[in-house]
Amino acid sequence: MIAPRPYALLAEITYRCPLHCPYCSNPTQTGNDQELTTDEWTRVIREAAALGVLQIGFSGGEPLARRDLPDLVRAAREANLYTNLITSGVGLDDERVRGLRDAGLDSVQLSFQSDKTDLADEIAGARAHQHKLDVAAKVRAAGIPLSLNFVIHRRNIDRLPEMIELAESLQAERVELANVQFYGWAFLNRAALLPTRDQVVRAREIATAAKARLAGKIDIFYVLPDYYEARPKPCLNGWGQRYLTVNPIGEVLPCPTASSAIPDLRFENVRERALDWIWRESESFNRFRGTEWMPEPCQSCPQREIDFGGCRCQAALLTGNAANTDPVCELSPNRAGVDAVLHDVNSSTDRAPDWTYRVNPKTLRSLEHVT
Amino acid sequence: MQAPTIAGSAQPKLARGVRLQTDSKTGNSVLLFPEGVLELNETAQDIVSRCDGRTVGEIIHTLAEEYDIDPQMLDADVRETLGDLQRRKLIELV
Repeated sequence: MIAPRPYALLAEITYRCPLHCPYCSNPTQTGNDQELTTDEWTRVIREAAALGVLQIGFSGGEPLARRDLPDLVRAAREANLYTNLITSGVGLDDERVRGLRDAGLDSVQLSFQSDKTDLADEIAGARAHQHKLDVAAKVRAAGIPLSLNFVIHRRNIDRLPEMIELAESLQAERVELANVQFYGWAFLNRAALLPTRDQVVRAREIATAAKARLAGKIDIFYVLPDYYEARPKPCLNGWGQRYLTVNPIGEVLPCPTASSAIPDLRFENVRERALDWIWRESESFNRFRGTEWMPEPCQSCPQREIDFGGCRCQAALLTGNAANTDPVCELSPNRAGVDAVLHDVNSSTDRAPDWTYRVNPKTLRSLEHVT
Repeated sequence: MQAPTIAGSAQPKLARGVRLQTDSKTGNSVLLFPEGVLELNETAQDIVSRCDGRTVGEIIHTLAEEYDIDPQMLDADVRETLGDLQRRKLIELV
């Protein structure tokens, strides 16, 4: 099959993070390999641009945990990429905002855990909320477009109106209200994070109304709670079609959660192979490209080029086989498993169980200062 | 189709954080913005590349001269394209 051309690279430059959000999609376990160096990332960025990539998102972990971030932003701008920083804001002071702006940073996406300090800090497992408010103001003052991201789950979903108000008061240009998706730490903490049906119904009404009210002022993106949907999300617009991720240790992934969710697929590393070869030729990128791999009911489904069979990682996590139809699909033979999870959440009168906070990979070493 | 509501005296410019750039893979113009890429067709490219302080009326006249057609023929197209880009927050009208 002829590989299409990728548009966006997600550069997960480190798994280190000062926050401990239980909804994090990072893997719960990582190897002890070394993070890519500045030079290695610079090469990856150039190879990505040559492949056709137009956008880069610097993410993690917390990308600000790497002091060489401005160098990487500069390398991306030199390669003509549009540069987004996806950050908790922790570590961003006036000097670093200026440094990033001068390096050519195009846009900042700042995460918030809630609108309320105590709840936000409880979710993050760190005192960060007040600092984030300052960071939002600094980003605005530097003239960099600001998006806010709220991951929504059982403990904060009822505060959606207040979160939208916060976005308005911070003059964000764009807000992502993203229902938690269950990968990594979030999958581990699913019972604590999954909202009830009543919560989900109300949140959708609030988001829809806010979207209409703020049209032309703030773009609101509402990411659906897919367990409650009848059809799966069009994950990544199809495997190996538009997006690629390079993780902190150099693995190239069709999807950021693939390396932990689909352990039986071998993912190539930029330390061993050129990015172009990995995108076009590797087994991991070709395994679920197009529609030929699809089983029934996807194979004969009129939706197959609309939702692409849903999410491969979710199929792997919930059915043990990444090649199955995403089990949130009502046509999947495995939908009953998802319904059982929803039944548990919606029939229990107990409060949600406690979650496990994300911890940092202890063994992961950074080589960025070594020359 | 929405009725054109853009005044001829309005000055369209790229919104903050939006970049107009040539896509080296295709040679076409693209607008880059947070988490998005919009490939411009030839007309949209001609319009957007002239959003440099000129008014809508001036853009219509310049293009009419270049295409050697009656400005009336372009009027609706230009306003519709600009209206669409404005709704997507890719251009602002000053």
